[in-house]
Amino acid sequence: MVRREFLGPLFISPWLLGFLLLVVYPFAASLYWSFCQYDLFSPPRPVGLANYQRLAHEVATGGRFGQALWNTGYYALLSVPLSIAVGVTLAVMLSWKVRGQSFYRTLFFLPSVVPVVAASVLWLWLLDPRDGMVASCLAALGATNSLWFKGATEAVVPPGWFDFGSKDALILMAVWAAGNMMVIYLAAIGDIPTQLYEAAELDGAGPGRRLLHVTLPMLSPVIFFNLVMGLIQSVQAFTQVYLVSEGTGEPAGWSLMLSLHLFLAAFQDLDMGYASAMAWLLFVVLLAATIVLFRTARHWVHYQGVMR
Amino acid sequence: MSRGNALAALALTVVSLGLLFWDRLDARRRTPAGRQEVIFWHFWGGADRVIVEDVVDRFNRSQDRHFVRPVAMPGNNLDLKLFLAVSGGEPPDLINQDDPITADWASRGALMPLDEVASQDEVRRLREWLVPAALRLGTYNDRLYALCNGLDVRALYYNKSILDEHQLRPPTSLEELDRIALETTVIDRAGQPQRFGYLPDPRRLWAWGTVFGGDFYHAPTRRVTADDEAIVRALDWMVGYRRRYGSFAVAAFRQGDQSLPGKSFPLLARRYTAVMDGQWRVRDIMAAQAEQRRRGDQVTQYGVCPLPPPAGGRPQAGWVNGNFFVVPRGAPNQAGAWEFMKFWSGFGGHEGEAARTCRAGGWIPVSTRVVAHPEFQEFLAEQPLFEQFVQLSASPNQVPTPVIPGAPFFQRTINETAARAMYVEPVPPASALLKEATRAVQAQLDTRQESHFVTP
Repeated sequence: MVRREFLGPLFISPWLLGFLLLVVYPFAASLYWSFCQYDLFSPPRPVGLANYQRLAHEVATGGRFGQALWNTGYYALLSVPLSIAVGVTLAVMLSWKVRGQSFYRTLFFLPSVVPVVAASVLWLWLLDPRDGMVASCLAALGATNSLWFKGATEAVVPPGWFDFGSKDALILMAVWAAGNMMVIYLAAIGDIPTQLYEAAELDGAGPGRRLLHVTLPMLSPVIFFNLVMGLIQSVQAFTQVYLVSEGTGEPAGWSLMLSLHLFLAAFQDLDMGYASAMAWLLFVVLLAATIVLFRTARHWVHYQGVMR
Repeated sequence: MSRGNALAALALTVVSLGLLFWDRLDARRRTPAGRQEVIFWHFWGGADRVIVEDVVDRFNRSQDRHFVRPVAMPGNNLDLKLFLAVSGGEPPDLINQDDPITADWASRGALMPLDEVASQDEVRRLREWLVPAALRLGTYNDRLYALCNGLDVRALYYNKSILDEHQLRPPTSLEELDRIALETTVIDRAGQPQRFGYLPDPRRLWAWGTVFGGDFYHAPTRRVTADDEAIVRALDWMVGYRRRYGSFAVAAFRQGDQSLPGKSFPLLARRYTAVMDGQWRVRDIMAAQAEQRRRGDQVTQYGVCPLPPPAGGRPQAGWVNGNFFVVPRGAPNQAGAWEFMKFWSGFGGHEGEAARTCRAGGWIPVSTRVVAHPEFQEFLAEQPLFEQFVQLSASPNQVPTPVIPGAPFFQRTINETAARAMYVEPVPPASALLKEATRAVQAQLDTRQESHFVTP
């Protein structure tokens, strides 16, 4: 008979075993490899901090890692807030009791169920600089310099003001698929107690003030959740980048994101030590960003009226 | 337990056991008695997979010692899967690849040199039997590690109907190509190009660099020479097109190629008068012409010619790659793998089988002996456009990406450099860009050569 106190650990042992083998071991191994030269084939050879020094050098000189870091930062800093803004706006509008409400909800949610591969091909067509629908509309407005997926410009950075390049196209794709965030906001809006709106109305608050002082504060935990998850996902963006740049980060590395750079280093150049160092640096940066977000959360996230 | 439940449990058990032992139950997956299995990994899918299965079937019927079992794998993860399989002690017997990985894998000791798989005499005869490009593709550090079974050659396709309209002839020199480009490019009233006579593709600097007379690598000194004067001139010439039409027009037009349905051949959409591409486009052209005939339209005429060199450049030159077999170290049935490699490539008296395979797949043979076989000659008579590629394949000026460790990085870096020169503003001089690329690739190569795993 198994003693009673061992029963619990025994029952969770399959999960524990999986966790140790598939999470803890790769985690620890990649940390060790980040201090080695390792090509998957020969035994790892310790090289001290060489991989981290190489990363630092590439950041300082604008090398490939520096470029990938900038690209990823640009993508994350624009796509996440924009997706949140679009998601919240859509959710607020779709919470209005209007005719065809379900139809509109479905319509705006649809992009997020389109497979990434199909969406990428679709956007390649839409953003064709000469004959694409979006490009044609922009050209009608006088904006004709955007190359989108072939462009090495950044729409919010001089000198490329409003010349949309490859990263801007990827951001547009991310914002287009904001429907999954929207559904979470919609559910959260449904949970806001109506008494709060009634009280605000009695105090003379109009729709704008109700949105600003009731809806948004009550949505703040969900916005916070989406902000953290969105940040992590945007840093891990891979499939769409791989597809639209044919696995190269073209044009000339302008859409080379960290995940793609890591993939190419690890599995094409077989530079697993360098790739592991990159993964750990990425992990530390993400962890730091998440900690900062949690620290700032106490100033703007409200849990049912309580700030934590 | 009720009778129904017991029956359901029994059925479930039978199905589970069936799935567990499926390999043994499925007659097609059984290795015939007395024959040794050859596990063969390849990446072919679609129509090509049918051809692969036919080759395997023909080989298996011809054999009483070996039995090939093909396993189709997505090409992208083949490296990782191989390394895991080799590390785990269960490598396949044979792999077919088309990425420039031979040196990378060989330097890590992951591949068997062919002189350890076959006899020295056979390898010596094989070296003489192969065309120079196929020999180069398989050789690392003077040893043959890979046996090519099909070459991919690039040449210049042109729309003969457009050339006739402008009373131009197919180009034999770079100046003539420039003239075609200038005279047949169509710019609309808004100043946007509707058709380019010719537009250099950044991915083709490998080919033009060679045509201009440059070498990307100097093997005796192990130096990367991508900043060779001839390659700088080639890139400068490519950038000349960008200067003429502007980077926006050039990049936007290229993006349009990517948006064509099914990534079809842009030459067929009359977007260009001349395009550099590989022999596989011959099928597309024939299909398009057949469709025009079926609809009763006027049939557009196309032609193929070698890349026209500038004065002092190399004739019949270009960048070549291909499919090749490699035997992983530790493969259990290396003798069987060798037999199958010979059967497919045509070496060792299998020229007829190889001719049949190349004909079915539209692949370029790796030996002039296979080309000379009546079955392949019959095929060439049916497809005159293909013949130009076959002739080019035997040229010593068809050069692959250098077979050195880090070749994929080398290839990527050069492509990116050319893309930067063609699309990105402002553009530094071609020489500065190529110097920077040379430095980056050399640094990568030095790191690998310093490390313990590279065989000196």
